[in-house]
Amino acid sequence: MKRTTTHWALAGLAILMATSTMSCGGDAGLEISDAWGLPSPSVATTGAFFLTITNNGAEDDALIGATSPACGAAELHESSMDDQGAMTMQPVAGGRIAVPAGETAVLEQGGLHVMCINKLEEFTEGAQLDLTLQFEKAGDIPLTVEIRER
Amino acid sequence: MTDTQETVRSSSVGRLLPTVLAITVVLALFAWLVLPRLRPYQFNGTVLQSAMPVPDFTLTSADGPVSLSDFRGKLVVLYFGYTFCPDVCPTTLSDVNKALAQLGNEAEDVQMIMVSVDPARDDPAKLADYVQFFNPTYVGVTGTDDEVRSAATPFGIWYEAHAEEGASGYLVDHVATLNVIDREGHLKLVIGPGTGADAIAADLEYMLR
Repeated sequence: MKRTTTHWALAGLAILMATSTMSCGGDAGLEISDAWGLPSPSVATTGAFFLTITNNGAEDDALIGATSPACGAAELHESSMDDQGAMTMQPVAGGRIAVPAGETAVLEQGGLHVMCINKLEEFTEGAQLDLTLQFEKAGDIPLTVEIRER
Repeated sequence: MTDTQETVRSSSVGRLLPTVLAITVVLALFAWLVLPRLRPYQFNGTVLQSAMPVPDFTLTSADGPVSLSDFRGKLVVLYFGYTFCPDVCPTTLSDVNKALAQLGNEAEDVQMIMVSVDPARDDPAKLADYVQFFNPTYVGVTGTDDEVRSAATPFGIWYEAHAEEGASGYLVDHVATLNVIDREGHLKLVIGPGTGADAIAADLEYMLR
């Protein structure tokens, strides 16, 4: 009996945790979670936003752009290591990050990210920055990015 | 098999159980605590056997000229990057800071130096502000393109700017390794990007022994 109660409590907790990450934003089956950025010095003109996009809908979609009042420009970039061991960074091929139905796109350190060029706000730890993601089909999805250490 | 034999066997298994458990726990503790100490340390970075000390260089910091040889006697962690880099460079500088925090007082024997591979955009004052955001002991240096290339080449570091459409103007491809130079000035260890603070701390701690 005691065991059953614990199980229910754990299940409840799991549901709570699942819904709290889902509440980050999202519409039309797109769920954006874990949106964050690294703290960076005032003198640095750039910053990067990382996030996870899950497409729970039945239709393929793609991230095609971003805007933020914290950035002079926001572009979709990708860091990668080239065949000579150098880190290279460039705008994503085709200007879009595909998020097929039922799949998840992860923007993470050392890979895909939203590059914030000409920062207009401070990227200090604890700052909450507004970011709007532009999707091919779902349109604009506004969200908040938290500046923090990993 | 008779009922009596069955009873005898199960009771002897019952008596042995605590002993078996105790032996298992002792073996597990041995494997966990002692065995790792018997194995030679496994570096997370790539160890180099350099017969010669690395060539010295002198570049410019906000506080004047800085030479690599100024830090002889300390471990030097040498990184080539640029302030316009939003992802890999801040991640690496922040990871090294976390690694130094794990070293405690021993961190005083480690000097982090970032050389800018983007001399056109990074002047010494900007570079100082940039690196000291991550850790006040970091040193940032730059120079002319020729000076920076001469400093970078002996480490197998190369960089190349490429123009981009959009707001960034140009971006710089660069070998983003952490190069650890030992107290005698030999390049000893190369740590790849994305290695993580714990692994960096473990390598530095071993090299400080």
